[in-house]
Amino acid sequence: MLSKILVPMDDSEHAGHALEYALDNHPDAEVTVLHTVGVPSMMMGDAVSLTLEDDLDDAAAERAESVFERAREIAAERDREIETIVGIGHPARNIIDRAEEYDTVVVGSHGEDWSRATRRFLVGNIAETVSKRSPVPVTIVR
Amino acid sequence: MVETVLLVGVVASIFVGFNIGGSSTGITWGPSVGAGIVTKTTAAAVMTFFVFFGGWTVGRNVMDTLSEGIVTMDLTLTAGVGVLFFIGLGMLVANIFGVPVPTSMTTVGAIAGLGLATGTLNYETIAGIITWWIVTPVIGLWIGVLIGRYIYSWVNRRVQIEKSEGQLLRLDRRGAVPTPTLGPNTTWQELVTTVVVLIIGCYMAFSAGASNVPNAAAPLVGTASGLDADTAIVVATLAIGLGGFTIARRTMDSVGGELSDIPLLAALFVMVTASTITTLLSWAGIPISLVMATVMTIVGIGWGRATRPITVREAVARDVENPEIELGAIVAEEKAGETAPDIGEPEPEEVLHGGDLFNPRAIIKYVTMWIIGPSMSTILAYAFFSILPGVA
Repeated sequence: MLSKILVPMDDSEHAGHALEYALDNHPDAEVTVLHTVGVPSMMMGDAVSLTLEDDLDDAAAERAESVFERAREIAAERDREIETIVGIGHPARNIIDRAEEYDTVVVGSHGEDWSRATRRFLVGNIAETVSKRSPVPVTIVR
Repeated sequence: MVETVLLVGVVASIFVGFNIGGSSTGITWGPSVGAGIVTKTTAAAVMTFFVFFGGWTVGRNVMDTLSEGIVTMDLTLTAGVGVLFFIGLGMLVANIFGVPVPTSMTTVGAIAGLGLATGTLNYETIAGIITWWIVTPVIGLWIGVLIGRYIYSWVNRRVQIEKSEGQLLRLDRRGAVPTPTLGPNTTWQELVTTVVVLIIGCYMAFSAGASNVPNAAAPLVGTASGLDADTAIVVATLAIGLGGFTIARRTMDSVGGELSDIPLLAALFVMVTASTITTLLSWAGIPISLVMATVMTIVGIGWGRATRPITVREAVARDVENPEIELGAIVAEEKAGETAPDIGEPEPEEVLHGGDLFNPRAIIKYVTMWIIGPSMSTILAYAFFSILPGVA
């Protein structure tokens, strides 16, 4: 019986599928959505603008809000509630570092779409990295 | 036959210049366009002029290095065209995979490959160039760190960059001679900052011309049947301008757009630093990538800011025994001050660390690309000119 599930999400379609899968298949589990902001990109624009903010925590939370809003909508459709966590920096590392505290990780197969290929090239395939290094079982959702 | 080769060379040079125009106009004017200070068309026009200015003056030193310094023999026209082909190939790879392959480094790599294949490589020159390629990112990073850690927040508290509604200036026709006065909502500070933003943009455009015009022009110069330097510079400028007016509209939203994600003030610091590094090195005849200097300065500013030390006042307020250097810790301190927990209270559960954004591994990825780009062009050009010795 899996009681604590970590669902890393970005604004991609597959991330939504991952959350739907987690909620549908584990009706009694406590689901936590993790979104990472300030992801390294070609010129580090996002990351640098984040550190230049006066209050890093607030700025990070603000940027994560749209993803969490979507996650809460998905959960609300199923009469469920979710926990949310904001991470900063590298998505895969954020996921792997936190995975221990959960029974499983449910992640979408692909992150952002091809138009943001740069980011994907730099970050590498998140789902793949997580599945290789996670201390707990990982479900990859298409 | 010579005319055909020359024509192919000019077309290749225009292709290279066109791409350079797209990317360098993007990073140079992206922040100002993003802030609504100039339009994309104005940006492209000003860009073209200052690129020409930079290429015509300082750029000649880099051109000498590329066409005469790296290889001891005279470039033949066909070899020059071959080199342009590899520069173009590097750009194609950059466009397809969306990775920043520095053109200046690809160019040097391709010419070095030619030198290796023909046994005419000037090792002393190439060693000097590579040394600067190693030192420059370190300098950019270091200056960025200093700005981010000590200067940025101080300036940010004192300077407001804003754009009001309506025209910046209008003509006052009441007097005998029409005189320009401030527009409807313009403040003096806005006027000054707008002018400063424009000047810095022009400066960066100048440095882009100094470092990038030679990439498109040099391979056709210095050959018996090629172009003379002046013509090649004009051709390269026109191609860069063409790129500035066309594909730069897209790159301003991508590459330049990313630079404009960061506050305009920070972008200006980055632009001044990167332009100065690029102009000085170009003046010394060292081919250097403007993008590389830009990226390292940006990363430096972010990193410097993330490792900003706790100020004395904050440290006293919370009586910190071991002041941590992460930004996350500072934020926590400030928050702690608001809610005033007693000393010894547990830390807030989730503290974000700014330092996590600038993990050395992120920088290693850039450095890897900067090593792979020129290495690949050297290897490919070496193979090409070895297999087809007649071309060189």
